[in-house]
This record gives sequence, structure tokens and C-alpha cells, in this order.
Amino acid sequence: MHNRSMLNQWVLWKLQFRALYRVFFLRLVDLDLLSADADLTRLIGQFAVIFCTFSFVISIPLLLMNGATLVMENAWMFEHFLIETAMTVAGLIVVLNWDAAFPDKLDVLVLAPLPVRKSMLFLAKVSALFAAPTLAVVALNSFSGLLWPLLFRADNSGFVGMLRALPAYWFTIFAAAGFLVLTVLTLQGLAANLLPRQMFLRLSAVLQAAIMCTLVSVYLLEPSLESPAALTSPQNQRLLAWLPSYWFLALFNQLNGSMHPALAPLAARAWAGLGLSILGTCTALLLCYFRLMPQIVEQPDILPRARFASWSPRFGSPLTEALTLFSLRTLLRSRQHRMILSFYLGIGLTIIIGYVNTTPAGLRSAKAAISTSFLFASILMMILTVAAFRVVASLPISLPANWIIRITQVRAARAYRNGVRFSWLALAVTPVLFVVLGLVPFIYPWHNAIEHSGLMLCLGILLVELCLFTFPKIPFTCSYLPGKAQIHFVFWAGMLIFLRLLTGAARFEERLLNRPLNCLVAILLIASAALGIRYLGRSRAAVTEEMLFEEKDPAQITQLKLS
Amino acid sequence: MFEVRNLHKRYLGIPALDHVSFIARPGEVTGYLGANGSGKSTTMKLATGLIEPTSGEILFAGRPIHDDLMAYRQRIGYVPEEPHLYIHLSGLEYLVMVGQLRNMDRKTADTRIDGLLHLFGLHGDRDAAMSSYSKGMRQKILLSAALMHNPDLILLDEPFSGLDVGSSLMFRSLINELAKRGKIVLFSSHELETVERVCSHIVILHRGKVVADDSIERLRVLMALPTLEEIFSQLAVEIDSEAVSREIADLIHA
Repeated sequence: MHNRSMLNQWVLWKLQFRALYRVFFLRLVDLDLLSADADLTRLIGQFAVIFCTFSFVISIPLLLMNGATLVMENAWMFEHFLIETAMTVAGLIVVLNWDAAFPDKLDVLVLAPLPVRKSMLFLAKVSALFAAPTLAVVALNSFSGLLWPLLFRADNSGFVGMLRALPAYWFTIFAAAGFLVLTVLTLQGLAANLLPRQMFLRLSAVLQAAIMCTLVSVYLLEPSLESPAALTSPQNQRLLAWLPSYWFLALFNQLNGSMHPALAPLAARAWAGLGLSILGTCTALLLCYFRLMPQIVEQPDILPRARFASWSPRFGSPLTEALTLFSLRTLLRSRQHRMILSFYLGIGLTIIIGYVNTTPAGLRSAKAAISTSFLFASILMMILTVAAFRVVASLPISLPANWIIRITQVRAARAYRNGVRFSWLALAVTPVLFVVLGLVPFIYPWHNAIEHSGLMLCLGILLVELCLFTFPKIPFTCSYLPGKAQIHFVFWAGMLIFLRLLTGAARFEERLLNRPLNCLVAILLIASAALGIRYLGRSRAAVTEEMLFEEKDPAQITQLKLS
Repeated sequence: MFEVRNLHKRYLGIPALDHVSFIARPGEVTGYLGANGSGKSTTMKLATGLIEPTSGEILFAGRPIHDDLMAYRQRIGYVPEEPHLYIHLSGLEYLVMVGQLRNMDRKTADTRIDGLLHLFGLHGDRDAAMSSYSKGMRQKILLSAALMHNPDLILLDEPFSGLDVGSSLMFRSLINELAKRGKIVLFSSHELETVERVCSHIVILHRGKVVADDSIERLRVLMALPTLEEIFSQLAVEIDSEAVSREIADLIHA
């Protein structure tokens, strides 16, 4: 009888765990971002396929090697690449999943009345939290994790070495990804426990964006130190102490039986780091659940904002002001939009830092000469900022709330387009222009500074006109049809080709700045192009007086208009 | 005068409204009643111009509203059934935005917003994000947004939803006061007791068709029924509520 009751209890716990786990896991993607037709499980599947494809592509070189073995330096390079990629992907997922790390007020209020144990809630939440990075790491290594380790075996270890390399590789990959995930959670948990709750809530978004930018920048800027000489060099030791991907490279070699003396201190660091991150996360999670949860429930429903935060700048007409402030507030307050913007700008900064570091004079040029690096940096930042704004502007903040904009449309759509144009210029072009204006007098002679600023302004206007031509809608209000996400992939694929063009453009501008007349002609040409696109956009939109909100599938039947 | 003339609306071929006609006059509160799915909210959306009718027309001051939709929108105030708001904005920010979108004079808008926030008891929370507001507070923001530009036609779709007793009583008086001042009020609600107290004229909708359009007094006499609840039950309720409740109780006991 007692056993039967225990069995029933166990079945109940299992069911509860499954239900809660599913709810928490599917919360990875904010549903508000997707159109009503979007399928969340399908979306997660699509991400898994992208990771698997990446894994397959990076396994192709193995076919070309035709059974040859890798020399140590090459093996270390590939091992390091695979480890740091897994770490970055896992880290990015946990950062994107930032607000799901601990139960929020809604969780507590919805689940508390149900007969669910607190420990069950905790377990389901933690399992869901780790499931996403785990799945991503598995998908990311689905092909490469089975093929590459066979080449990483220790010298002269034969078949036994191959058998040892596989588990060593998978353990290292999970340990490295786990280290980063746990470290992020520890940082978040400690901030939540050490800071006053209100201050934590305000700083949480900044911390999240900072970690996001750090992860992307470290991944792209990390120096290549995969040789015994670089790893033992005294001048690299300080740097290595801060690069965990090298610690786990050492750990893999230790487990694989291919340990080099240069790697020994780094392997010790990997074990210590892993232990500390586990300890830190356990402490942070326990403290959060048993200390913070009651605080979350008891906190007041309405959290007043500081009065100074309600100050708002004035922009032109009431409509322009309404649209610009709406866009600005959405960017500042919406986690999803802020994260995507940080990601783009983080990558832009990384490319700039990388470019400047590889250019001999960097940004520090004599005032008489023109630094191509600065031209490259400013052009790239202008393009990336406008492009990032274009991407985030197409993600709606709340589709059902759009009725108020539709019902209050008391002016022609043309007035709205002008307001939207102003908001693009104010939020995407002006910040970059301010940075350029702030730096350019210190880098160039005054006449070159004026010319470059003029060119940047015209480029910004041209980019905004191009964006408005393809997206003539109020930012953050349009529905998002499935498949539109391909804009991200197209953008980044284009970026790789584009960077080469951009270097050429920076050199071209360098020549222009030495000839004021040519520069003026270039400014006029860009301004004319912007005006031309604006005219085209206006003629195209002249037929409608209503603003466009809903994305609609193209018509299934195409009229041939034969009659 | 607000007139709905032979209005017909189909969604994917399914009729939501079937040749509906009625008139709402200034100084009068017109109750718009019907069961869930009867077409009340569709009528409201058509009346605001958010969707277009399949056939038929809506006239305001003798002119079809689609002749000059923008001028018509200047004169309407609308409270939707669900409090869909941009909850990342504060109550104050939202109302200021609505004022700007409606092209209101800044000074007038500021004065009215401040007054409405005070009168609705939201002034202390005006700078808090609306994500932290209760349903009743959000409803008050919607009401403020609908009234701040002094509209001639007020369309209210379940406006009492989520309001506390005090606010409901105050709002009931407000509707009467607005009607007294010559506004046209179209008031859709499930709360029959409130409708009976507030409305002088009612339209009952059943399966997209108008089944009653008269004053409450005349309907009482015509149907020989003492209350609006009984009139409504006879015209628009198909289920035997007592039998269904017994079945539900049986089901959860089984």
C-alpha cells in the first residue's frame, strides 16, 4: 500500500516536472516577437539545423586531408577553435535567456496556488535553463565532435588513442561551455543578491548587454596563441590568465594524453575555474531561490520610475515627437530590441578594433595625414548602426496595442513618413555623427574634418532613405512574418563581401579629402541619390493615405491583367 | 447622429454581422448587447474604421465615415474590450503620445492629462511603467485616452471590465453626464444591470442580427417582461443555464 502511494507520488512529480520543464524551456524565445502563425518548436528546430550545418561545414576539410595526421600546432588551432566556438554559443544563449534564469513574479503568482513543490519549480527551471545551451553545443558538434577528435589523438596512441580522444573531447566541450554558462549565472546571481533589488533590476539590462558585447568581442578578437612558444612566452602569461578557451585547450590535451608542459598551468586553471563556477552558481541559485523569491513576491506591484527619467526631449511637430520618443523608449526598455542592437554594435566595434590593430598607424595619425582606419571605422559604424536600427525596427513591441496608432491617424500617411524619417535620423544617424564630430577635429586638419563630417551626414541620410524605401512603416509596430529572419543571414553574408568594399571606400574617401572640390562633388552626388530615393519612395506611397502595419503574404494568385 | 445602415461583415466567408441597422442619437446612451460572438466587437471595430465592412455603411453626421476617415477619427473616442497598451511606456507617456498623435495642442493636452490622472487616482503612479498596472488602472488609462480630446462620439466596448466598485459607479455617472452634454455614446456591455441603469435605448444582437432595437421601457411593455435580464434571456440566450450548471457540477464530481 505504502509502495503504491510512493509510486503514484513519483508519477505525479514526473508529470509536474515535464509540464513545468516544457513551459520554461519554450520561454527561450519571446513569443511577442513572432507572428501569430509562428511555431516555436519549429523555430528551435531551425536553430538546431543551423548549428548542425555549421558543424558539417567545418568537418568538410577532414575529407580533403585524406587520412593525414595533424602537426601539434595545427591540432591545437582546430581544438581551440572548436572549444571557443562552443563556449561562445553557450554563453550567448544563456545571455539571451537572461530573464528566464530565476522565477519572476508571474511564475510565483501563477504557480504558487498549484500543488507544486518549490523544489520541483527550482529543478524544472534549472533543467530548462541548461537544456538550451546543452542542445546548442550538441548540435554544434554533431558532425565535428565525431570526426575531428579522431585527428586529435595523442601521437603513436593508435586505436586506443582514438577511443580516448572522443570522450576527452566531449567532456572538454561540455566543461568549457558549462564554465561560461555557470560563470554568467554566478555573475547574475551575485549581482541579484548583493545589490538592492531595484538597483539590480535597473543594472541588469546593462550587465546583460555588457556580457553580450564581451562574448562577441573576445570571440572575434582573441589572439592566436596556439603554439608552445606563444603559450610559454612570459609576455603572454597575463593574457592567458584571462582567456578561458586556452585553459580548456590545455584540459583537453591533459585528458587526451597529449599534454605538453607548456599547457600544464592552464589545465590547472581550467579545473579550478570549473570548480569555482559550479560552486558560485550553486550558491547564487540557492540564495536566489530561498532569499530572493520571498522578496519578489513581497515587492510592491508598482515600481515608480525616478522623476528625472520622465523628462523627454522635444522634437519638431507633435507627431514627429510622438514617433521618435516611442522608438527611443522602445529601444531603451525592450530587452529583445536592446540585445539585437548590442549584438550588431558589438560586432561593429570588434571589426573596427580588429582593423585598427592590424593597420600600422591605427587611429594615431599625424594631423597632416589622413588615417584610413578612422575613415573605415566611421563609415562602418554609420552603416552598421543604420542597419541594426533597420533590423530591430522590424520587430514589433506589441501588435495588439497598435490599434491606438491606427485610430488616431488624423493626418495623411506622408506626415507619418516624415516623422519616421526624423526618428531614424535622430536615433540611428545622429549618435554616430556626434562621435565622428567629437573625434574628427583631433585626427584631421579642420578642412578635412568638415569634409568628412559632411560626407558622413550625407551617407547617413542616404542609408535612411534606402531603409525607408524598403520599410516604409512606423518602427516597432509591424507584424513579423516567419521567414523574415533571413534578413539577418543575408546581412551577415553580405557583410563579409562588404568589408572588402568598405576598405576600398575608405581609401577612396582618403583621396577625396585631399581634393576639396572632388569632395564637394561627392557630397552632392550622395545627397542627390538620397533625394532620388526619397522621391521614388514618395511616388510609390502616394497612392495610399493609410499607414501599413500588417505584413501580408504575397497573393497566391497573380493577376495577368490581360484584358 | 450615428447611423449603421445595412451593415454586413464576413470573415473568410463566415458572416459576423448580417445586415445590421440602428441609430444612436446625441444625448442618448445606446446599449449594445449580445452574447459572446454575436458581433458586438466587430461592430465596434467597424465603427472605429479599424476594419472595413463587406457591405453596408456607417454614417456620422449624415456622411459615410469612409468619405473622410481622418476627420471622423478626430471626433471619436474608443475604449476597446481588451486593455491592449504599449506597456513599456508609463501611463503619462502613453497619454502624452496619444495627445500628440491626435494633434492636440500641447498645453491643452497637458492640462487634460494631468486632470484626468488626478481624477482617476493615477497621478501618483503616472511615471510607473504600465506593465506594473492592474487591469483596472489600464482601463482608466484607456478611458482617459478616449476622452482627452473631447470626442463627439464615444464607443465603449466593455468599459467596466476590471474596474473597482467605486470607479464603476463614478464611470456610470460619467457616461450619463457625457450624454447630457450632447455626446453620442455607444455602450457595449455584458453587465445588464448597468446597461439598464445607464442606457435609454438598446440594441440586442444575436448571431450577427439585430433582434431588438428600442427603448428599454417599450421593450418591457412589448415583451411583457419586467427586467432587461429577462428580455435579453428570451431574445439572445439559447442555452438552459440551469441545466448546464447542473451538468458542470456533475462533471467535476464524477
